[in-house]
Amino acid sequence: MARELNSANMKNTTHTPPPKWPLRFFRWFCHPAYVEDIEGDLQERFVLLIEEMGLRKARWRFVMEVLLLFRPGLIRSINIFPEFIHPGMLKHNLLITYRGFLKDKTTFLINLIGLSTGLAGALLIYFWVHDEVSVDKFHEKDSQLYQVMINMEDHRGVQTWEKSPLPLIKALQEEFPEVESGTFINNSFLPKGKIRHGEQSTQANRLFVSEDFFDVFSYDLIQGDKDQVLAGRDNMVISKRLALQLFDSTEEVIGKTIEWSHPYYEEFNGFFQISGIFEDPPANATEQFDAVIHYDLMVKNDPPATRWSSTPGTNYLILQEGTDIKRFNDKFANYLAAKDDSWEGSTQFVQQYSKRYLYGTYENGVQAGGRIEYVKLFSIIALFILLIACINFMNLSTAQASRKMKEIGVKKTMGATKRALVIQFLSESMLMVTLSFIVATGLISVFLPQFNIITGKELKWGLALSPFLAIAGILLLTGLVAGSYPAFYLSHFKPVAVLKGEHRTSSREYWMRRGLVVFQFALSVIFIVGVAVVDQQMQYTQTKNMGYSRDNVISFQRPRHDDDLEIFLAKLRELPGVTNASNMGGNILSGWSDDNGFSLKGQESEEKWDFKSPQIGYDMIETLGMNMLEGRSFSRAHKDDRSKIIISESAQKMMQLAEPIGHVITNGIVDYEIIGVVEDFHYGSLHKEKKPLFFRFHIWSLNTMIKITPGTEQATIAKVEELYKEFHPEDAFNFTFLDEDNQRLYEAESRVAILSKYFGGLAIVISCLGLFGLVAFTAERRSKEIGIRKILGSSVWGIIRLLSTDFTKMILIGILIALPISYLITQTWLNNFAYKIDLEWWYFAGTALMTLLIAWSVIGLQTVKTARLNPVKCLRDE
Amino acid sequence: MSKHRLGELEEVVLLTVAILHGEAYGIAIVNEMEERLSRRISIGALQIVLRRLEKKGYLVSEFGEATKVRGGKRKRYFTVTNFGKEVLKETKDQRLSLWNAIPNISFGN
Repeated sequence: MARELNSANMKNTTHTPPPKWPLRFFRWFCHPAYVEDIEGDLQERFVLLIEEMGLRKARWRFVMEVLLLFRPGLIRSINIFPEFIHPGMLKHNLLITYRGFLKDKTTFLINLIGLSTGLAGALLIYFWVHDEVSVDKFHEKDSQLYQVMINMEDHRGVQTWEKSPLPLIKALQEEFPEVESGTFINNSFLPKGKIRHGEQSTQANRLFVSEDFFDVFSYDLIQGDKDQVLAGRDNMVISKRLALQLFDSTEEVIGKTIEWSHPYYEEFNGFFQISGIFEDPPANATEQFDAVIHYDLMVKNDPPATRWSSTPGTNYLILQEGTDIKRFNDKFANYLAAKDDSWEGSTQFVQQYSKRYLYGTYENGVQAGGRIEYVKLFSIIALFILLIACINFMNLSTAQASRKMKEIGVKKTMGATKRALVIQFLSESMLMVTLSFIVATGLISVFLPQFNIITGKELKWGLALSPFLAIAGILLLTGLVAGSYPAFYLSHFKPVAVLKGEHRTSSREYWMRRGLVVFQFALSVIFIVGVAVVDQQMQYTQTKNMGYSRDNVISFQRPRHDDDLEIFLAKLRELPGVTNASNMGGNILSGWSDDNGFSLKGQESEEKWDFKSPQIGYDMIETLGMNMLEGRSFSRAHKDDRSKIIISESAQKMMQLAEPIGHVITNGIVDYEIIGVVEDFHYGSLHKEKKPLFFRFHIWSLNTMIKITPGTEQATIAKVEELYKEFHPEDAFNFTFLDEDNQRLYEAESRVAILSKYFGGLAIVISCLGLFGLVAFTAERRSKEIGIRKILGSSVWGIIRLLSTDFTKMILIGILIALPISYLITQTWLNNFAYKIDLEWWYFAGTALMTLLIAWSVIGLQTVKTARLNPVKCLRDE
Repeated sequence: MSKHRLGELEEVVLLTVAILHGEAYGIAIVNEMEERLSRRISIGALQIVLRRLEKKGYLVSEFGEATKVRGGKRKRYFTVTNFGKEVLKETKDQRLSLWNAIPNISFGN
């Protein structure tokens, strides 16, 4: 009988231990009450098995045995974290946390305010980023949807165009097997027109597209069949919004006739039959439109649009799934050059459509960022703000460790494991974060409308799953980051030392806390320098002398000139309050129109000159208050015509003409005679370099500009409108102020400016909150020391110095670290502008001083209070 | 007493524990069963039956001594309770009555 091993057997088997991992696994899963005896059985059996079948097989059998033990009756209860899931323990933890909050309301409030504002800020930014990233991603075939782009090289470098020839779309589908389908869109041909059905009319814009439009893009059709809606050449597919405006319904609209009219683009007017209705393009679509029609109408009125050499619109392709884009682009690169000579030197490529929004900028033919830079920037800002708030929590919790020491010591003596304590502190920080989130929700609902105005978005508190999950993730992460350091730090105390009161703050902890404060203030300083520089640059763009006066100038577009131009302008000038009136082609802020390849007539040289070439009518130079340096401006007395130009100062410099008046320049096609020189001014935005320029004379330009006597704006504009209505009774009078147009040029930057102001402020407020908490705590800890010092004759100032020196050092180090970093960052940002402010030393010194002053006032608040305390008070109680 | 029904393995294990009389612990039971019935069962299968029988009140267990070969782990000795004995007896009686009820013809001898 082998039921007891005899001693001989035992000696034979020198202890071969059973395989380690299966045994560990067994110990882990087995019910604690059974572990011991079953493990004993396992071991005993293993020894027997080795005798019986050798070590190798015995090991396998052992593993099998362990696996066969894994059954419901023998494994431990499913409670994997019994210590804290246990309701009693959870309740205990909550109670302790709650009492902690009550006992130290200042710290609680600091944490709550810091974390909730930090969370609110970070979540707002998250919503914005989420929205930005989702733009144009809603198309079903998003991953296959590509846009044709063209790089064209000329003497200025490589220009990247998004428009391409119309025949391309059909040819590509025939010649490239990778192309599944595609569509052509023209979206810039027409301004908003009047759309009318019976009595109802409204303004709407439309796209010219090819038949497959609704196949390629996922604008869902509510009415109509997507293969049929664009079959007829006079079909029009309208948006739900437009259908509701015209018919109050989306039912029984198909087949009805609507009239499209625009006073200026008469050739496109006409009657169209509604063939379908599509859902309004979502807010996160870049293309916003009310109606689509077949491009046939565009071609009819502009036959050259079908040529390979012209670029009337954008082509979009659906590529086969799994197409190698690089290889496709290689094949496609010189496609156009083979079709038409005018494309010599061009390369074509495709770019994913949904990437165009975020990665829209091309420099010299290479993708160079775009909006994605702001998305990245603000994501980083959100992260840092949250981090600053977390640091407050970390610092305050570890600083207060002394208060919790006894609790931890007692708990550990009673048998609490380190893990149980870690979980206790983590649940504390989670609770804090949850409370802060509730407050943050309130803050967000209050600030969301304001935030929407600044960012120009329509963000809502969405219940969509992905933001929800992300928010949960952000909360969890915040709780962990904020709670982990204190949790692990506090739970590692040795109970005996703690209870004896022997615990000393280690130097590591000392440096950790200081390091965190330094980090916080370094970040705050970077934010503030950033804000200051962005703000200065914005001021600069608004106030910089552009070389002309944009104050009190309004501009509007006349729909057409019949032969009444001079009468119209003369009548305008006669109006009281109107100082001057003139017309020009395009806008002085758009920087539109180039003329290239000029040289002096009679001495054609190798070097060719390029100019910006705006067109103006009479009196424009006077209306905009520009200075003539030489010669004269266009005048009625001289009966000027298109052959005369006025050059700018820098154009004169480029041509090196000492006496330019009377010279004639030519590009081989036209000759221009120079009649005057105007002082340099900025044509276009300050993003671009000032270029040599000449004014061409063109009386028939439609953009009218009026200089108004200051103070009479309202009355004068009313009169201008009256006059306008006399000439154009059917057209709306839409005017803008030139200085406001100017501001609009820098919209993206001014958004950044405003947002960074808010978030920079937030960062410094949260940092100061934390500092306040730390100072208050230190002052309290050292109150006995201070009492003794005072009794021994220390002055109030001495005490204040004692308490604030340490913090001042930390903040100074933070500032020192931050300044070079902020210099680099701001300098990089400023490089976006051709005309920019210089980074003056006092931006940095000022910021440093300001940060120091703010921090000092926060420190001072607390230290003065402590320093003035009656020493008897703090020494008496024990 | 028909509600106390023993499964086949349960019956065999219970009987083996009774045979071992005070010496019944995990590996001993396994070995005994192997020897007498040529039936090899895994520790897992045995343990689950033992715990079930214990829960039903047919067995009690207590820790015994530890040996070196067991890696210093104690044995758990099982003994059959009176209740367990009754159930065993009852099962045996039921079987016997069934045997007795078989007409001789059916075995053909």
